[in-house]
Amino acid sequence: MVVQTMDRPKVAEKIECNVVKPQITVFHCINALSNAALLDYDNCDIESVKLPCSSMSRELVFLKAFESGADAVVVLVCPENSCRYLQGSLRTAKRVNRVKKLLDEIGLDGRRINLYNIHNGDVRAAEKIIENTLTDLAFLGPNPAA
Amino acid sequence: MITGEQKPLAEIKAKVKGYKKILVLGCGTCVKTCFAGGEDEVATLASALRLSFKKDGQTIKVEEQTIERQCEDEFIKEAAAKIAGVEAVVSLACGAGVQMVASRFPGVPLLPGVNTTFIGILEKPGLFTEKCLGCGNCIVDVFGGICPISRCAKKLFNGPCGGSSNGKCEVNAETECAWQLIVDKAISSGQLEKLAEYVPPKDWSASNAGGPRKLVREDHVI
Repeated sequence: MVVQTMDRPKVAEKIECNVVKPQITVFHCINALSNAALLDYDNCDIESVKLPCSSMSRELVFLKAFESGADAVVVLVCPENSCRYLQGSLRTAKRVNRVKKLLDEIGLDGRRINLYNIHNGDVRAAEKIIENTLTDLAFLGPNPAA
Repeated sequence: MITGEQKPLAEIKAKVKGYKKILVLGCGTCVKTCFAGGEDEVATLASALRLSFKKDGQTIKVEEQTIERQCEDEFIKEAAAKIAGVEAVVSLACGAGVQMVASRFPGVPLLPGVNTTFIGILEKPGLFTEKCLGCGNCIVDVFGGICPISRCAKKLFNGPCGGSSNGKCEVNAETECAWQLIVDKAISSGQLEKLAEYVPPKDWSASNAGGPRKLVREDHVI
């Protein structure tokens, strides 16, 4: 699993600064995670967007999630060598990187969107990712453009 | 195709600052193909602008529309209704499209959102390379289909210059030496001796150096 997360020690310093109920939008390939409804948390709202392949996404849909109020976007894709459509995960990773740069330009912070490669049905890995995202959001705070 | 690259968000944001309602107008031909100004790029830029202004505590209404070609009046008039309802238009067309829309709607500020770069080809996914300068008098047949005007940094008609190394240009080591390609092609086609013929200097009056050009097709003029 490739997990791109922010600097943990900094998170730990700030973790109690923001008491909010974050909104996290999870875009996921159904071959990586069949149903994000399995990710059920009381302390955050998770909106899931199922995709037949993660490469069905575009930069626009990630930005729209932020326009709709998401504090963070999580993109769950298959491992690069396991994509049924060969290059889907790779294409999505490039789009997520572009959106990261755009978010930095906008001033929202590119760390609000992250892509993770997870193996088919690894719910535990997905849960860990959500927990890490919540920790990151404790540092980043709410989406200032929500 | 004409290739272009979208301007940085900060530059576009600075241009639209102060307007409350704008239109991001895309072009569905050349700049769509090079991912600078088609429907996707229009929607992405509009979303990014909305987020950016909202983050600053400001509101801006961003309309979106993409027409087939901004360089033709027949298509531009499709955008007339939306242009009439905004304070400014960000055009994601090439320089020709931007100017066409600006002249068609003189009362609305027209803001370019794309830097037009060159006439080129899609070499492989995501890679566009320059192949033509539009010089007005094509003689690529003399050079085996490889244009030394657009592809040789020195625009040599009687090359090579002697500065290339391992098939790369001395001006830019990432660029293939056009004259290496020309010679290779001549050898492979058994026409190397033709390159010994002197090619006279180019008459640049047919190019943009002779001022803005005009193309008239009398059989189509009504």
